Parts: sequence; C-alpha cells; structure tokens
Amino acid sequence: MANKKDRQRFERLMLVHHDAAYNLALWLLRDAADAEDIVQTAYMKAFDHFSSFHGGNSAGWMLTIVRNTAYNLLQTKKRNSNLVNFDEALHSGDELCQFSFGSMNPEDTYSAMMTGAQIMDAIERLPVEFREVFFLREIEGYSYQEIAETTQVPKGTVMSRLSRARAQLQKLLVEKNRRKQANVL
Amino acid sequence: MSCEEMQHKFEAYLDGELTLSDQRSLEEHLAGCNRCNTMYNSLRTLSVSIKNIGYTHAPASLRRNIKRGLKEISGEHADAFHWYHLLGVGGGSAIATAVVVWLVMISTLPSAQTSVTDELVAAHVRSMMVSHLTDVASSDQHTVKPWFNGKLDFAPSVRDLRDRGYPLVGGRLDYVHQQPVAALIYQHRAHVINVFIRRGDTVAQALPPRATHQLGYNLIRWRDAGLDYALVSDLNEKDLQELAGLLAGQPAPKS
Ligand SMILES: [Zn+2]
Repeated sequence: MANKKDRQRFERLMLVHHDAAYNLALWLLRDAADAEDIVQTAYMKAFDHFSSFHGGNSAGWMLTIVRNTAYNLLQTKKRNSNLVNFDEALHSGDELCQFSFGSMNPEDTYSAMMTGAQIMDAIERLPVEFREVFFLREIEGYSYQEIAETTQVPKGTVMSRLSRARAQLQKLLVEKNRRKQANVL
Repeated sequence: MSCEEMQHKFEAYLDGELTLSDQRSLEEHLAGCNRCNTMYNSLRTLSVSIKNIGYTHAPASLRRNIKRGLKEISGEHADAFHWYHLLGVGGGSAIATAVVVWLVMISTLPSAQTSVTDELVAAHVRSMMVSHLTDVASSDQHTVKPWFNGKLDFAPSVRDLRDRGYPLVGGRLDYVHQQPVAALIYQHRAHVINVFIRRGDTVAQALPPRATHQLGYNLIRWRDAGLDYALVSDLNEKDLQELAGLLAGQPAPKS
C-alpha cells in the first residue's frame, strides 16, 4: 500500500532521472509530445511497481520502464498505421549495415565540420534499437553491461548494435559529405 | 597484431571496455600507424560530436505533471482528484483502479489534440467528482439509446458488452469544446469506462484508432462514419485496444 512516505521516497530516487527519461523517450520516439506523454505514463507505472525496486541502479531501473513504455507506443502505432513506415525503419537495419567500420577507407572520413543538426538528422534515420544503445552509451555513458540490463538483451547484442549503429551513422555522414563535395565541384 | 585486429578493438577502446594490457598495445599501435590513427580519430570524432549534441531539458510541465500524478495515485488529498474514493473503488488503496475509457473526438489538427485531450481528462474527472457519472443508469441498450433522442443531432449506437466483459452502466450528456457529446459508461472488472461520441466533420475520411497518453491515462481515438470517438484509460493498452475493437465493431487486434 502506497502512502506519502513511499511517494516521497520514490520521488527522491526517481524524479532526478526525469531529464534522462525524457531524452531517451525523445531519441526513441522522435516526437516531443509523445516523449512527454510516455515519460509521464512510465513514472506512474514505475510507482505502481516500486516494490520491485530493490536498490541499486535507480536510473537503469527507471529507464527500463521508460523504454518499455515507449516500445509499447511504437508497437501500437505500427499496428494502427496503414503506412507501416516504422516497421520498415526497424528492419532496414540489416540491409543498411552491410557496411562495416573496418571496410572504410581513411579517405572517406567525413569532415569534422558536420553540424549537430546534420548528425541528429542522420541519427534519426537509424532503427530504433540502434538509437537506443547509442543514447545510453554516448549520452548517458553507460557500460555495455549496464546497457544490456536496461535494454534486456545480451551484452553481445548490445555490442553488435552499437557497432552497426556507428557504422551506419558513419556511412550516412560520409555520403552526406560526398554529396556536399560533389555540389561544390 | 595486424591492423585489422587492432581496428576490431577501436570501439571497445573508445567505450573504455578494453583490458589494461589490450589498451596499452592498441595505444602503441596507434602511435606508429597512420592509417589506423586516422580511422580511430574518425570514430572518436563521431562519438564526441554526438556527446556535444547533448541533452534537451524536459519541459517544466513534465516534472509538475509527474508529481501531481504521483500524489493522485498514492491517494493523497493534496489535489482534488481523489475521484476513486467517490467511486468507492479502491477506498484508499495505493493505486487508483478506476479506469476511464473515453471515446471522443479526434481533432484533425495535431496542435489542437492536446487541448482536446486535456479537456476530456478534465471532463471525466469532473463527472466523477460531482457523482454525476450517469444521467440515465441502465444496462439496457434499449433504454440508454432513446434517452439521447432530441439531445443530440445524431444517434449514437449503444451496445451492452456484458458478454465480452464490458457491461454497460448508463449514459450521460456532456460537453467538450462547448459541443454536446454522448457519454456512454461501461465497466470492466473494477474499472469504470466513460465513452464519449461526437459528430465529426462528415466530409473527413475515417481515421484508424490511434493511441496517446495523458496524465497516466491511455487514450485511443478514431473516426468512423462521420463520428469521432476517443478512448482514455489507465488500463493496459491491450485491454483498451480490445474494447476499442469491440466498440468499433471490429475484431480486437491480435497481440
Ligand atoms: Zn594499423
């Protein structure tokens, strides 16, 4: 039975993560209004299940609920969408990631002048599972093990997703850079 | 070790996941190999660029809404929204078990959707607070349906769904955006369900169910045959989808 004390304890432990929760939702959903709704829902859910939190990594615990809630929404949208564009985005990863980092020529390294907006634009074109590991690694600074726990997949999967995400992102940026140079010439 | 073997370790090195000895041999190689050094720097630049994009601050309303929501479901009286006490559901229990399902209007303008959603949530809470859940309390669809005659410029279809686990409780006339709407009330286990229906723009095409979330409630909205529906609930989305499917006269989506 929840009471004021439980609520205060929950707020003390979990409310500090609301910025991280919002940013994760934003990366996954790519829509500010959806992100806000999902984080709100996730916090209500988290409080309902607060008794299952036995200490430890409170951020990881909270973000797991956020990402699960966000995936539910993505599933619902996929089901309700006639266009099924999300589905395509999900599965395009395999084919797009034939490119591997090791096969890249040093000459292809894109210029470091890429703006944040250009990079964000490229990130938004990655499949959702790639964006997720990327966010947790690069923005939150999670270890492979922590990402595995938060996303509920094996550590090996985390590593391969991260690697494929980087390869794909590099590819997108290299292409963008080439187009830019072609336009100049 | 070959360049290729080294390149396989770039990411683990970048992510701080290499053992100390691997780290050292990689650093030695990078210092002496131009090609690998260029490649590693490209990878590192990417990582740094992403880190620099950094954080967006959550809107202030988010933190506020979370805190308010938590007070509501922990049964504190800091806010006036302890409507589940009025319902006699939960009676001080930790979690508000009342479920609200609203079938209401879809706004075609995305920017207008939030305000409609807000108004629906507010309208529901209001109906609970004044103990004014129903104008006509009956599980008989043949009693509820004619009650709306003359009150609305359309005739909402009313079906008792008791055999599917959603008995009809009654009906009510409500207002959203100053427009009269039909409110049908259903029950599911301990959960109360409010269903609102409004006449939509008749020339607009039908819209498939779309789920959103607001203040801990789930909403599902759609448009069919010139009528706008919306469904809001804190029930799990799967059950809500089932009910939406029943009300829309379609089979529930497979999970
Ligand atoms: Zn080398």
